[in-house]
Parts: sequence; C-alpha cells; structure tokens
Amino acid sequence: MSITRIFTTAMLTAVTAMGIHATVLDSLRVDARLGYSVGGTLPTHIGHEIRGINNFNLGLNFSVAAEASLPINERWAVHSGLRYETGGMDVDSRVKNYDIEVVKGDESLSGIFNGDVRIKSTQRRITLPVQAAYTLSNSVTLRGGLFMGWLTHRRFWGWAYDGYMREGTPVGPKIELGTEPGDRGDFEFDHNMRIMQWGLDVGADWQFHHRWGLYAELTYGLNGLFKSDFHSVQTLRPMYGTLGILYRLK
Amino acid sequence: MYPHMSIHIYYYNSALALLTGALVLMCTSCFGDEPANCEADIETATLHVSNPESFFYQLTDSVQTVMSTDTAIVFTVKGNADVTSLSPQFTLTPGATINPANGSTHDFSQGPVLYTVTSQDGRWTRRYSVKIIPTVHTVSDTLFFNFEHYELETASDRYYTWHNTLSDGTLGNDWATANAGYRLSMSTAKPMDYPTTPLSQGYDGAAVCLTTRDTGPFGRMANKRLAAGNMFLGTFDIRIAMSDHLHATRFGIPFTSRPDHFTGYYTFEPGPQVQDFYGNIINGRTDSASIYAVFYRNHDAAGNEIVLYGDNILSSSQLVAVANLGYVEPTSQWKPWNVKFEYREEVDEELLANRGYSLSIVFSSSADGGDFVGAIGSRLCVDQVRLICTTQE
Repeated sequence: MSITRIFTTAMLTAVTAMGIHATVLDSLRVDARLGYSVGGTLPTHIGHEIRGINNFNLGLNFSVAAEASLPINERWAVHSGLRYETGGMDVDSRVKNYDIEVVKGDESLSGIFNGDVRIKSTQRRITLPVQAAYTLSNSVTLRGGLFMGWLTHRRFWGWAYDGYMREGTPVGPKIELGTEPGDRGDFEFDHNMRIMQWGLDVGADWQFHHRWGLYAELTYGLNGLFKSDFHSVQTLRPMYGTLGILYRLK
Repeated sequence: MYPHMSIHIYYYNSALALLTGALVLMCTSCFGDEPANCEADIETATLHVSNPESFFYQLTDSVQTVMSTDTAIVFTVKGNADVTSLSPQFTLTPGATINPANGSTHDFSQGPVLYTVTSQDGRWTRRYSVKIIPTVHTVSDTLFFNFEHYELETASDRYYTWHNTLSDGTLGNDWATANAGYRLSMSTAKPMDYPTTPLSQGYDGAAVCLTTRDTGPFGRMANKRLAAGNMFLGTFDIRIAMSDHLHATRFGIPFTSRPDHFTGYYTFEPGPQVQDFYGNIINGRTDSASIYAVFYRNHDAAGNEIVLYGDNILSSSQLVAVANLGYVEPTSQWKPWNVKFEYREEVDEELLANRGYSLSIVFSSSADGGDFVGAIGSRLCVDQVRLICTTQE
C-alpha cells in the first residue's frame, strides 16, 4: 500500500500548494474530457501454447474525465483529475497444451486443454492520474506520470470449447468439450480480480481552439489484473488507450 | 458483433482501428514454435492375421478402440487360435513412440505383453498391457453378481468401481458406472457422496446403492442438475461424458448364452421432490427407478459393430429380448424380483457361439435421469443378481 501513501502525499502537497498560493489558483487550468477507449486487459506475452487468434476485440469503451493542471513555471505543471473509464476484452484463441482450470463455486476441474478458448472481460474504473505536464508549444502539452485506479465493476469469464481436456495431467482421462453451454468448460474469475490497480500514465493534449482540443492517453498497469495468489489465467495487465476531445473550462 | 464493431471503429475513429490492428499484428507475430505433444496414448490396436475368419469370432474384433482411461487392451479370439507369434499394430498420439516397437512380434500365450508409450516431448509415459485371450465358447447356466468386489478407482482414489467374478474365478471389469463423469462436476465429493456406492450390509454381504445426486454449481450452469445413480454391464466413455452424455454409457458385453430370466433383490426409496430439466419441482410426481436387462445383436446387417446407448437401449431394432421389471415399487425392505426375457426374434445359435449377441443389465435410481429429470435423494440398492440362461441341446 506504499503506493497509496505516495499518491496521498502528492495530492495533499498539491492541495496545500493550492491553499498557500491562492494566486497560483488563478493560473489553474481545468478541462472536461470525453474519449473513446480501447483496452482493459492485455496479456504480457503470448506463450507457445497460444497457436492462433480466431477473434480479437479490445472492445469499444468510453472515458469521461475532469482534469486540471497547476502550472509550476512556464513549462511545467502538475496534472491530475478524475476519470471514469469502461474497459473490456473479448479474445478467442486456439491453444495447445494449455493449462486450464474451470471453476464454479467450490468445484473445479483442471488439466491440459487443446482447442479454442474464449475469454471476455468487462471493467469500469475510477482513475486518479498524477502527472507532470510539459508545455511543448502554445497548443501541445505532453504528460507523464502514474495513475491509481479502483474498479467499480469487474467481470472476467469465458469458456474452453471445441477441443478436449486431459484431466489433471496430459495422461489423465481425455474429455471432449463441445460448443454449447453445458457441453463446454465455462469459467468465471470475477472475484479473483484486483479492485485496485496502479501503473504508468502518459498522454498528450493538442489545443486547436482556445476551448477545444484533442487528447490521447495510454495507461499501462504495473500490477496484474488478478490477485497475486491466482494462477488459473496467464498474467494479464490492465491497459487502456484513449483518444478524445477536451473542452477547456478554465 | 465483431464486424459491427470494426465498422464502427472505421467510420468514427479510424485511428482506433489502426491501434487495434497494430495490437493484433503485434500478437500474431509473436507466436512461438508449436509445442511438442505431451500425450502418450495408444488410440487403436489392430491385430492382422492371415486367416481372420478362423482366428476371430467377429472380424471387427481385430481392431480395438482404446479409451483414454484404459490400461489393458484385450483381444478375445477363438479357443484354437495360435497366439504364440503375433504382431499387434498401434496408432499412437502423433509424435509418441512405443516400446517394444510397433508391430513387433511376441508370444502372447505366456500372458500379457507390456508396452510403454512415451510422448513426443519425452516427459510423459503410459503403460499398457496387451492380452490376447483364446476363449472357448462356454454355455453358462447362471451368471451371479453379488457386488462383493469393489475398490476405490486406482488412478484417483475418488470413487468406487466394481468387479464381477468370471467363470475361471478371476475378476472382470464388466460392471460400469458413471461415477467418473460425476467427478468432473463435483471435484470435492467424497467416495460415498458419488451416485454409485457400496453398501456393506446388503441383502447378503455387500450390495450396491445407486443414489440420484445434485451435480452442484457446474451442473446448474450446464442444465445438468442431477446425476442418477447407475450401474450397467458395459463401459463408460468419459471422453464424451460432457459433450454427449447419452452416448457415454455403452451398454452391453458379448454374451454367448441365451438369457431366460433374471432375478435379484432391491430396495427403492424415491427422493422427496421430482425436479424437471430446469430444476423446477414437479408437484405430485414420485420418482421411478429402472431395473432391466437387454439382449441384442451386436452387429448390423452390414457387419458394423453396434453398441446400444442411453438414447436407444430400449428402442433399438437390434434388440432381441428385453426383461424389464417396469414399475419398481418403493420399498425400504429387501424385495425380490424375477423377470422373464421377452423375445422378439429367434436366437441364431451360430451367431450366439460367435459372440454376435451382447447382454446388458441396467440399474438406475431415476428412470429419467438421462434427461436430468428425477428426485435428488432417490436411492435404489441392489443385491444377489442372477441371470438364468436356457442351455441349448
């Protein structure tokens, strides 16, 4: 939780700074943002077991935000705000010798799977970025820093289908999995997802009008999507890419 | 859904389409080499001989499909067949190797020959015993099943299996249950929580008890909410237990006598509430059990091997005779039954001698369990089962 402390300290410092230097507040710039997001979840690497992607859809989601920059000098500013983001993933892949665990309640079935695996995830996240902003020109600002995110909604589910499982080990009983619910192997790992995420956050703003601008944002989670004691699914990281418009309020 | 999404992205934000495309490319370019196979199965075993008609009872006996749970491969051949120099051929998991070599010649008169299969990746092995047993056609008067020989399944220790006593006094594996299938949905179940369990104090010695069980969260998710306890002469094919459960129960063993009637003792206590496929309680209905035996031709007119399954065991045109107790009256005290086989056609003596007929005896604690309809808790116990055959002159 040390990262929480760092964020808290940073925010307190920022707020204190605002309080002490009331005049600085006049230079505070505030904007509202609306963006399309892709992402939510990405694997850190694709192992040998993944033999192909049948369908890959990062999902089409949105991000709304209210953000503010507090200039420190001519070039640099502290940038923060609050974002509400939705994320998702829908991947259908073909696998071989894939370690799989199908879980429902207290019951589980694990083994080696050959066939197709569909994985779906949806998330909604409140994100607090803390970034350093560098004004490149009158209209372009680059930002970089960290974010902290809380999931208000988390779902991760899917199924193994059109293939067979060797229960336990590769020489265990061979069990065919079909396509329809009931014939395939469903899994659900909602509660194994972390609620709190943190990671890197970089962005850029382009102010093409004194009120209107465009922005791009990329957040990359440094902790995994799942709790550390969970191993049923390969390591996945929260990742969001956003493109959108901003409206300068102040 | 996906094409719609792509169009959406394309028209409204082509940059996102590019980003998504780039991520897909990134991913497809980083697949590693295909991993080596890690399975080590004998999938089929074939015995080629120069004079198959005088060697096998049925020509289809020369090829055995080997289930993933099998460790013994048995060829039953004619009593006078020479088994001192035979070269079985095996199909293996792709890339796997076998020792002794595939097609090598062995003397099977000295007992089983042991083979070891090693997976392509070299990390996994399986051992098989291959037996070729010359069998003289014996006419038995009575087959007797007392359910005294049961043990925890050796590979997992999770559920019970039963053995019958063969005519030579050794133990056979002719009784099958769906316990292995129940294990897939209820990994936490203890051996006595399974649908088919032993009862140490039966009518005389041990009996077997079949109980309709709840299949838990997996069962509810799959609309397979219960598992009727069952026991039958035949094999249970775990491979299709999830994808095609009615065909996982393969009823029947080759049988060379003409069954006349079968007897035994049972208790049957229906569970409190019958539920339908969706788990809804059906008011006013009492669960029913099944006790029956079938005798059928195990090849069709074209010479293809026939096995009866859960969806045709009482309706197949291959049926020759059926002995069905019908209504199984609930009773908590041991009650005898005696049911005669109703013949639909004459028995061909030559076909009978050549193992062309199969027999199955079937018990189930919920008659409609195959459709996942029944009462959880219905319990049928069975003991001292006799199959009386008519001896032919």
